[in-house]
Amino acid sequence: MKIQKNNSYFPLPNSYLNIKAALITAIAAFLLVFNVFPMGYLVFRSFWGENGFTLETFERIYTYALNWNALKNTLLTAGLAMIFGVMIAFPLAWLVGRTDLYGKKFFRTLFVMTYMVPPYVGAMAWLRLLNPRVGTLNVFLANLFGLSENPFNIYTLGGLTWVLTTFYYPYAFITISRAMENMDPSLEEASKISGASPLKTVMTVTFPIMLPSIVAAGLLVFISAASCYGIPSIIGAPGQIDTITTRIIDYVYVGSSDGLNDATALAVSLMIIANIVLYVSTFICGKKQYITVSGKSTRPNIVELGKWRVPVTILVSLFAVVVVIIPFATVAMTSFTVNLGKPLTSANFTTKYWNILLTRPAILKTVKNSLIAASAAATAGIIISCVMAWLLTRTKAKGRHIPDFLITLGSGTPSVVIALALIMTMSGKFGINIYNTLTIMIIAYMIKYLLMGMRTVVSAMSQIHPSLEEAALISGAEWHRGFWDVTLPLIAPSVVAGWFLIFMPSFYELTMSTLLYSTDTKTIGYELYFSQTYNSQQTASAIATGILILVIAVNWLLNKLTKGEFSI
Amino acid sequence: MASITLSNITKFYGKVQVIEKFSGVFNDHEFITLLGPSGCGKTTMLRMIAGFEKPTSGEIKINDEIVSGSGVFVPPNLRGIGMVFQSYAVWPHMNVFDNVAYPLKIQKVSRAEIKKRVENILEAVHLAPFIERMPNELSGGQQQRVALGRALVSNPSVLLLDEPLSNLDAKLREAMRFEIKEIQKNFGITVVYVTHDQTEAMAMSDRIIVFDRGVVQQVDTPMNIYKNPANEFVADFVGKINFINGTAYENFIEFQGGQKMNYNGDKRGSVVVAVRPENILINRERGILKSKILQSYYLGDINDCRVDIDGTIFRVTAPGKTYGGFSNGSEVFLDFDEYLVFQK
Amino acid sequence: MKKLILLLVCLIALSSSAYAAEKPQISIYTSMYEDIIDAMTKTMKEKFPDYDIEFFYGGTGTLQAKIAAERETNKLGCDMLMVADPSYSLELKAAGLLHPYISKEAENIALEYDPEGYWYPVRNLNMVLAYNPEISKKEDLPKSFKEFAENSSLKGLISMPNPLTSGSALVVMSALKDKYGYEYFDKLGQNKPMVESGSVALTKLETGECKVVMILEESVLKKREEEASALSVIYPEDGVICVPSPIMTIDDKFSAHGNSKICEELTDWFLSPEGQSYIVKGWMHSVLKNPPAIPYDSINTSEIIKNSMPVNWENCLKDRTELRMNFESKVKNKK
Repeated sequence: MKIQKNNSYFPLPNSYLNIKAALITAIAAFLLVFNVFPMGYLVFRSFWGENGFTLETFERIYTYALNWNALKNTLLTAGLAMIFGVMIAFPLAWLVGRTDLYGKKFFRTLFVMTYMVPPYVGAMAWLRLLNPRVGTLNVFLANLFGLSENPFNIYTLGGLTWVLTTFYYPYAFITISRAMENMDPSLEEASKISGASPLKTVMTVTFPIMLPSIVAAGLLVFISAASCYGIPSIIGAPGQIDTITTRIIDYVYVGSSDGLNDATALAVSLMIIANIVLYVSTFICGKKQYITVSGKSTRPNIVELGKWRVPVTILVSLFAVVVVIIPFATVAMTSFTVNLGKPLTSANFTTKYWNILLTRPAILKTVKNSLIAASAAATAGIIISCVMAWLLTRTKAKGRHIPDFLITLGSGTPSVVIALALIMTMSGKFGINIYNTLTIMIIAYMIKYLLMGMRTVVSAMSQIHPSLEEAALISGAEWHRGFWDVTLPLIAPSVVAGWFLIFMPSFYELTMSTLLYSTDTKTIGYELYFSQTYNSQQTASAIATGILILVIAVNWLLNKLTKGEFSI
Repeated sequence: MASITLSNITKFYGKVQVIEKFSGVFNDHEFITLLGPSGCGKTTMLRMIAGFEKPTSGEIKINDEIVSGSGVFVPPNLRGIGMVFQSYAVWPHMNVFDNVAYPLKIQKVSRAEIKKRVENILEAVHLAPFIERMPNELSGGQQQRVALGRALVSNPSVLLLDEPLSNLDAKLREAMRFEIKEIQKNFGITVVYVTHDQTEAMAMSDRIIVFDRGVVQQVDTPMNIYKNPANEFVADFVGKINFINGTAYENFIEFQGGQKMNYNGDKRGSVVVAVRPENILINRERGILKSKILQSYYLGDINDCRVDIDGTIFRVTAPGKTYGGFSNGSEVFLDFDEYLVFQK
Repeated sequence: MKKLILLLVCLIALSSSAYAAEKPQISIYTSMYEDIIDAMTKTMKEKFPDYDIEFFYGGTGTLQAKIAAERETNKLGCDMLMVADPSYSLELKAAGLLHPYISKEAENIALEYDPEGYWYPVRNLNMVLAYNPEISKKEDLPKSFKEFAENSSLKGLISMPNPLTSGSALVVMSALKDKYGYEYFDKLGQNKPMVESGSVALTKLETGECKVVMILEESVLKKREEEASALSVIYPEDGVICVPSPIMTIDDKFSAHGNSKICEELTDWFLSPEGQSYIVKGWMHSVLKNPPAIPYDSINTSEIIKNSMPVNWENCLKDRTELRMNFESKVKNKK
């Protein structure tokens, strides 16, 4: 047996490393051109006045009490949403992934579902349920317990935190439960054999081992909550609660160059916060690399809940009803209601809004555009994510953290700032003109949501033992072939999850789309925005419900096609 | 034909040197074992041969073709090597057949040919009945055989094994030793085997390379390694051995504690005398070194004794047939049949 | 796995679509709603078969932000604007972005327009108050903007658009400041209005969460016509605040397609009775002295104009930052 000599290999010393370098360069270049350059341009502008360098904008912005308040509110609500989100997601992920809870599969789909509803629409549902005067749920609870006053007020920091949490905990849930399923059960078994109770095992073994995933999950929740506009604009505004994002929009809508500068200056602070959080989290996790999927195959083990099985299932169901079913049902019912002030009786029932949705040809076109743009963004995004995951977890290539940093930077930036920066830099002034194309939207979506996919894939990849890939290499496969044959199938569930994490928000994306669309590239997000601001809550709800049904259908189909291997 | 030539290999991780200049030739059909305690650099050495690590300097040739060094680096997939990993690295998403067939698929071997060769190899590693099983339906030993089958299926000229038996139970381990040796003979391949288990090394190898902290201590046949260890470390690491400090003079060695023994060697001054347990003769009445039995276990074929020589504890095995048992605390005399003297 | 990848590949393949046009193109940025645009487009296709006219809909704030960003590159994505209020026109005119044209319809316009022809009002939006007769009695509710801010029995039960994000709301605040001074803002702040978008406010009016809201007349009329809603308009006694939304043509130097001559033709059409009739169908008032019609369920256009609160567009532009700051400190940040 001779060595399979590939002559083309020999003139290129080190070509194995060169491919890595080429990949890093390609991804970094993409990010530099389409992410750093536009953002950098904005930041530069905010420092560059008529007479050169100036801190005037920043002084103006940060000497203003309202903005400090907004910053405080953002940190507080996003921070709390992160803590609560993880506190909710971790036990749920454990229950769904590692125990004999009843209806696990159903719950898993249910918990991910909030992610499939545009925050705008969901916030409206919560507003109708919990507003202090006539909130449906509020009134119901007051009657139930004979209270003289409605128990909840959604227009508070607490209310804002609640809605942010219910919307963003799925990020944590998805990330943590993927990691949970991949964990080597013998680690938990070792703890049990040492005499630890199941709860003690979770706290002393499962939790610490999951820590990198948990931190990654928390980071996602924080960044998403902090850069979210839809929810604070609806929940916060009536209670005079400003966040950085609502202030940014205030400045942007001034519609002048100064307004843009002021908005950028505020956005810069959000970027800085996002990246501080990132660094703290990588610092916490950096020292701890756990490899939990070994080359040895083990049987998945399931914790038996025993006498707790029924009560825990009831508790989880209750949570599902409150956080998922009630708001969703509200959204769905809204889409059939004529007068939102009256109960949904037959007189007050209409399918008119669904007719609009299903018959307007423009809507069909926007759905197609959104499908294309979101799929393209998700696919390109997940490819970058996979390569990045590989670079970050499998190589010591220099500079591999640069693209990682840039991706986080993009996600921490509010959508509206990304869109404006892209308009300024990508419409021919600097040699690239993709304005008014679908491409610019795809790029915008990628900048904003790439992080979601990347973190999911990285945390999956960091749990796969490198020897599995080395075995492919030694079997004669090129590294990319090995990645394709071995690594990819093993991380496939996470890749699919990551793809959806990019796809979904891109699909109904609203803020950037309304700035970047052109006549031919209207998206469903635009349609939603249009309904939300002009048509009616009902049409928006119909669109949102439609999206949800579509997602559930796709999920079902995916499940069927892959025989249960993949689902959301 | 399938020889491996290593010239002046060094390896640094950052500033830490893990392999100090090593040169050597592994011959065709040879079974070479890299032996040493964990962290000694043996696995790094193996991974450099495989191509997973790049030597900091030096040259590796397989079959007289440079695979690493002189500006050339052939990646693992082009080296035509088989390898079995410590954790087996059996792909959990593929069944036994697909795992084993993988290298052939990469080589674009025809379907029929793949089927034939995989079946043959599974026969050889005694896995034929499990061809459809998924890895999580196999025992550790079976997974290990899958890994072995996968490594062998493309008829590599070199097989690398990274502590392949360390995760198996004792009985299986012994059985697998013979199987691997058998396979090596049948397939006529060069094997580089990494282990920290000296018994494994002794049982299987044509030659053993003993590593310690990145430095090669000795390269030799198992018998020579055992009988003539190059230094104290090798003597200690391979087989059981007793050490006693002493001072060498022209005609004798004075042991720690004052007792003396005749000596004709050329070492002088502070020395360590090393004696394997089976090379010590026990006499109840007279002998060179007076000592005391601390504990003695009668195991039938032998007496396993711990003996105190003026504060130095020796382990001695005395044939059960000759001596019967010893009572603890009794006084005995020791003679050294064969011994080694290392300069301190 | 394979199927999945195939699916993805198909989706990517779909995403390559090209667009080609041969007729001269005109792009119009407008905050007019799509329904009206759809109706208009049909007629315009017949009237102007040789042109390829496309509308880009966006909220006023969105469009202004988009234009601000585009101005950085010295090239706008449009040829015409039908957005915002005259103060914005003044700003663009001063920046030299606009193309002047004396329309033959100019003399029929009932509202103020630029004598040099840089901008004309093309639709008249009216800021009014609205309430839900199924929940409240009209007698209990404010009859004027003054009462809206002062009636303390409605504290926390009122809603208004956000002048920080909505141009027409800023115009309203400018008019109210000119009339009542900044004390109006103080009083408003004490009455704790919810500051939010019109569609949210209407929902709150329906559910009874708010009793009276400051809102554009058209949103209420639309709801009445389309949903047979009972929500009703109160025309404030201290004057409806008219926010005429202008039509402007971008100078060829900055416009997307450089077809200002065609834009002139379009301007005439938009200001013609035919063009105006579409505005009225969209529940907005015509700007003509002899309106072709009045919007569904509304009152006479002339009556509204007669009783309207004056707006000083120069002030509106000049005081913009001051108005925002005052609103922020007196209304928005009032705890």
